[in-house]
Amino acid sequence: MNTKKIKNFFIFAVFVFPALALVLFASDIPFVMNMYYSVFNWNGISQDMTFVGLDNFIKIFTNDHFFWKSVQFTLKYAIFFVVIINVAAISIALVLSKEKKSSSVARAFYYVPYIISMTAISLLWKFILGPGFSSLYQITGWEFFNWSWLGSGKLAFIVVVVMTTWQNIGYYIMNYITGIIAVPTELLEASKIDGANRWQTITKIMLPMIMPSISVCLLTSLTFSFKIFDVIMVFTKGGPANSTASVAYNIYTEAFLNNNYGLATAKSVVFVIFVLCITAIQTKITKGREVEA
Amino acid sequence: MKLRKRNISVTSEAVLLASIVWLLPLILIFINSFKPYNDMVQNFLALPKTWSLDKYVETWVDFGFPQLIANTLLYTVAAISGILLFAPMVAYKLARTKNTLSKICFVLIIMPMMVPFQSYMISLTKLVSDVNLTGTRLGYIIVSTGLMVPLAVYMIHGFVKNIPLELEESAKIDGAGPFRMYFSIILPMLKPVLTTVMVIDALSNWNDIIVNQLIVGGKTAAMNLQNALYMKFSAQTADWEHALPGIVMSMIPCLIFFIAMQKHIVGGVTAGAVKG
Repeated sequence: MNTKKIKNFFIFAVFVFPALALVLFASDIPFVMNMYYSVFNWNGISQDMTFVGLDNFIKIFTNDHFFWKSVQFTLKYAIFFVVIINVAAISIALVLSKEKKSSSVARAFYYVPYIISMTAISLLWKFILGPGFSSLYQITGWEFFNWSWLGSGKLAFIVVVVMTTWQNIGYYIMNYITGIIAVPTELLEASKIDGANRWQTITKIMLPMIMPSISVCLLTSLTFSFKIFDVIMVFTKGGPANSTASVAYNIYTEAFLNNNYGLATAKSVVFVIFVLCITAIQTKITKGREVEA
Repeated sequence: MKLRKRNISVTSEAVLLASIVWLLPLILIFINSFKPYNDMVQNFLALPKTWSLDKYVETWVDFGFPQLIANTLLYTVAAISGILLFAPMVAYKLARTKNTLSKICFVLIIMPMMVPFQSYMISLTKLVSDVNLTGTRLGYIIVSTGLMVPLAVYMIHGFVKNIPLELEESAKIDGAGPFRMYFSIILPMLKPVLTTVMVIDALSNWNDIIVNQLIVGGKTAAMNLQNALYMKFSAQTADWEHALPGIVMSMIPCLIFFIAMQKHIVGGVTAGAVKG
């Protein structure tokens, strides 16, 4: 009996441990380390590491201007991104799901930016906003092209929203199309017979029926915008004057540029708790609204 | 009736037109990648006067593209092989074992899906340097594979649960051992979900910049394509004559992969969305 148990455990270990070891190394252990370091004052390199209790957290909440500025940016970005991308994606999906002929090509076109790397995307937009716009300014003479798009905080914010919407919309469109196609046609026909116009059909039937897609997309776009980091790191580097520094970017610079490793890990802990709370609340709200056909 | 038909074809053309406008930035990059810098600034919208590949060849040679592409391919192939080998094994075993140890292992593997990567990336960088893997290919492969395991296991786990137990029971009666059972009965049945996993992971690995930047940083020998483009061209005064061909060349493999796997990509990436 005992040898059988040992044999079973051995088999279990062979199947489970390689993948488990990879995840422990890449995620779980760093996550725990993070919480451990958050109660120390440390620069990340030296031997000199002092225990400071909750001081790092107190500092974050009382005396950290740039962190709160980054929170403000992230929340503002989240509101704009979530609303714009979901409204635009639903509208486009409603049109695309009706069209048969050109639709599959159009879907693919919308999807292409989504599969291209952030590096290529950000260099591409830098090129368009720089040499591209200055060329267009010479041709058209429109002031619009002469604005300093990456030089002022407000415009850089718009650029980040537009660029990320441009890159990600294909994914949301596909999600919504999948949802729209699954809506039973009898329901739409019945509403037509009852004399509903197109707007009523969309708001009273279509939207409630695609609630599962909406909740997935809302959640994805919300977590995407809270976590926004690679765009900022590769594209604006938080500039100009920290106006586009997101929370994740603030943590990154605190650790690697300011060398306040302990403080940066404390911020990470605050960040995790915040993201978990928001997604939990959001899931609860949208789950309550889903309807069965 | 006739009017209606025409109406529909007008909107369908409008839809197509709108989607082409959506691609305009990519098209502009492509046509400008053939121009000398002066032409880019003066005739941004015009087609190039000559479709010369000189700048492409220069970029290819001067910026070490053969090595970058070799690195990126190595990383993608290594990570995918690792995922396709380990993730189905663990997902299968955990779905079929009902005890506390199995539950703990499952939670440990799924947990990273709940917390954002950005919240522990600085400690990850620290851990990698503690074990002297910073700047190495091995370090990057281990980390990038490890980061893709949770979603893969989650998706495969859901799939395994729908495979009827009877199959395994009858194989057991026929005398198949646990490994034989897994490799010749279970694994072939997982093909659809494994294709999805492969597509998601291939794209995310090829396009990765953040993890490569964190683990490899400026170490030229181990950089992947995206990181090298970032390090070499994101300076203030960019060398656009070489940056644009570089961007185009970095996108080509992705676009070919997209055209070849379009069905799987769209379906697969959407399926991957269900993570919390």
